[in-house]
Amino acid sequence: MRRLILFLCVSWFGVGLLPSTAGAAPLDRAAMVKMLETIDDRQRNGGDYASLMYIERKEKGKTDIAQEALIYRRDADDKLMILYSKPKSEQGKGYLRVDRNLWYFDPTVGKWERRTERERIGGTDARRQDFDESRLALEYDPTYEGEEKLGNFTVHKLKLSAKQGVDVAYPVILLWLDTQTSNILKRQELALSGKLMRTSYYPKWQYLFSASKKANVWYPQEMRFYDEVEKDNSTLIVVKNVDLRPLEANIFTKAWLESKSR
Amino acid sequence: MWTLLQIAARNLAQHRRRTLLLGGAIAGVTGLLVILLGLSTGIRETMLRTATTLLTGHINVAGFYKVTAGQSAPVVTDYRAVLEIVRRETPELTYLVERGRGYGKIISDTASMQGGISGLDIQGETGLREVLQIADGRLDDLSQPGTVLLFEDQAKRLEVKVGDTLTISTSTPRGVANTLDVRIVAIARDVGLLSRFYVYIPMVSLRNLYQLNDNATGALMLYLKDLQALPAVQERLRAKLTEAGYRLLDPSPQPFFQKFQTVNREDWTGQKLDITTWEDETSFMSWTLQTLEGLTFTLISILLVIIVIGIMNTMWIAIRERTREIGTLRAIGMQRSRVMIMFLIEALLLGLTGTAVGALGGLGVSALLNGLGIEVPVAVQLFLMSDKLFLSVHGATVLLSVIAISLVTTLAALYPAYRAARLKPITAMHHIG
Repeated sequence: MRRLILFLCVSWFGVGLLPSTAGAAPLDRAAMVKMLETIDDRQRNGGDYASLMYIERKEKGKTDIAQEALIYRRDADDKLMILYSKPKSEQGKGYLRVDRNLWYFDPTVGKWERRTERERIGGTDARRQDFDESRLALEYDPTYEGEEKLGNFTVHKLKLSAKQGVDVAYPVILLWLDTQTSNILKRQELALSGKLMRTSYYPKWQYLFSASKKANVWYPQEMRFYDEVEKDNSTLIVVKNVDLRPLEANIFTKAWLESKSR
Repeated sequence: MWTLLQIAARNLAQHRRRTLLLGGAIAGVTGLLVILLGLSTGIRETMLRTATTLLTGHINVAGFYKVTAGQSAPVVTDYRAVLEIVRRETPELTYLVERGRGYGKIISDTASMQGGISGLDIQGETGLREVLQIADGRLDDLSQPGTVLLFEDQAKRLEVKVGDTLTISTSTPRGVANTLDVRIVAIARDVGLLSRFYVYIPMVSLRNLYQLNDNATGALMLYLKDLQALPAVQERLRAKLTEAGYRLLDPSPQPFFQKFQTVNREDWTGQKLDITTWEDETSFMSWTLQTLEGLTFTLISILLVIIVIGIMNTMWIAIRERTREIGTLRAIGMQRSRVMIMFLIEALLLGLTGTAVGALGGLGVSALLNGLGIEVPVAVQLFLMSDKLFLSVHGATVLLSVIAISLVTTLAALYPAYRAARLKPITAMHHIG
């Protein structure tokens, strides 16, 4: 019910902003792949990306936690930096991804730890992939599950299965794509056993002109993650102040992150 | 010498109150030492017995497999080849078990906990079957796939009982999310700190959860006939496995789950073996023993200082009271060395009698406490590694305590005895006191 209300509330938001790209007809494989490529391409910047992220985490039996972090991304060479700025206890902590290595830095111990690529960021239900470039067309094969209604939206439901030899956190993903805009409105991730692990909602999409891409770059302004195994755990992420201008050259280094906590 | 012994004994008997007071103090300290040593030995033995069945073998041949440099899993691939070398090179082996290792989130309908997941074949686990005390359910049911054994504390935290279902959520070595639904078939009584960390599932279920093939395992746990052979076996296995072309991690006195950070920082992929001892794997718990041993040492040292002061004071009083006697003995030809020995024997006699009585008392109290089977609170269980108070007193430890304290009391009398021996006969005989 909570999730339905969420969609009823946001059902008007964004629709007017977004260009129409598809009708309500069932999709064949080629159309689905094209749609995934469009989703990936829309979010790909090619240049640099910076934003402020507000994170609110709810966990059963624990006090709600609110955090703020800065996200820096350089899509050209697959670099990502997450730097916590609030609360004070988290200030200076951060993640740095260079190539296929994800590093975590905690200034209180002054040590770098190598983490798995599928790390739950800051102990929330969000993962590194949620802030990174979208690679759906590269990593998954789609099958069509039908057309559905999601609140006021008419959506295509797609089932994505991981391609052979590709390492992904979730081997099966279900996507609910707006038939009008092709934006992802809902996403469900399943474990290898077939168990539903996480449901995500993306009620607000925004776009911004990118000089490096010479086109618009799309991003979800709000992401809501619901843990489906521990039902009472959820995470809300709000993305603010997106900036696509070039970043400093030395930003994606351990030294830079360390300097922020001095 | 017999005469000197008689003089010393007579003198102790003459000053009965002083002797009883000082001897009683020595007996008290000895008794306390015996009890505290019994407690720390009891913890060590319990830890060895429980840890080496629940968590580790006497020696473990385990390792890490890395798909990428930053992602390691506690897995030994192609373990049958390793097993063959281990069996061939370890004639000291009593028996060996194979265990799967994992870590994940264990989730019930109402709560969750992070914990270690151990995969086993319950039919072959003779040692484990002896150690585990089942509070509810049947241990043999753990041979069925999709089942789990918990400890009482875990069941309480997860608010579950036998027959309930749990979900284990984790990632495979390739980083793919996976889950396993397991039915609780047995709940075992807590065994201290260890029972907070681990749950047990059948090996086949662990392989299913982590997507491992039949030739992959977590660790080979070796149990030896004689623990004295442990360092030699460890060295031999390191040498032979290296010779056979296996890469080995550098020795590090840490349990495997504390090695992930280090292993993930290293730039290698593929398989590396790790040979550890039970002491390495339980090093995270050894603080309890070290704390107790530190406390015992501090307490006994303080008490011994008090006793040393008491002995020295008593000797000074005795010398003062017997100065004329010393003078007379010296005048009739007693050597200085014999005067000194006379006083030392007095202290030794007092020490030996006191420590003997104390040791007997300590033994009696220990036996009584063990006999009563006193249950300890949960917080203390973590410290003692057992739900009951257990003291293990060995003859050698008692003898060592008796000798050590007697030696200290004798040495405490050394300086006063030396001063007594240095008295000039004429001065001593003229002494009025």
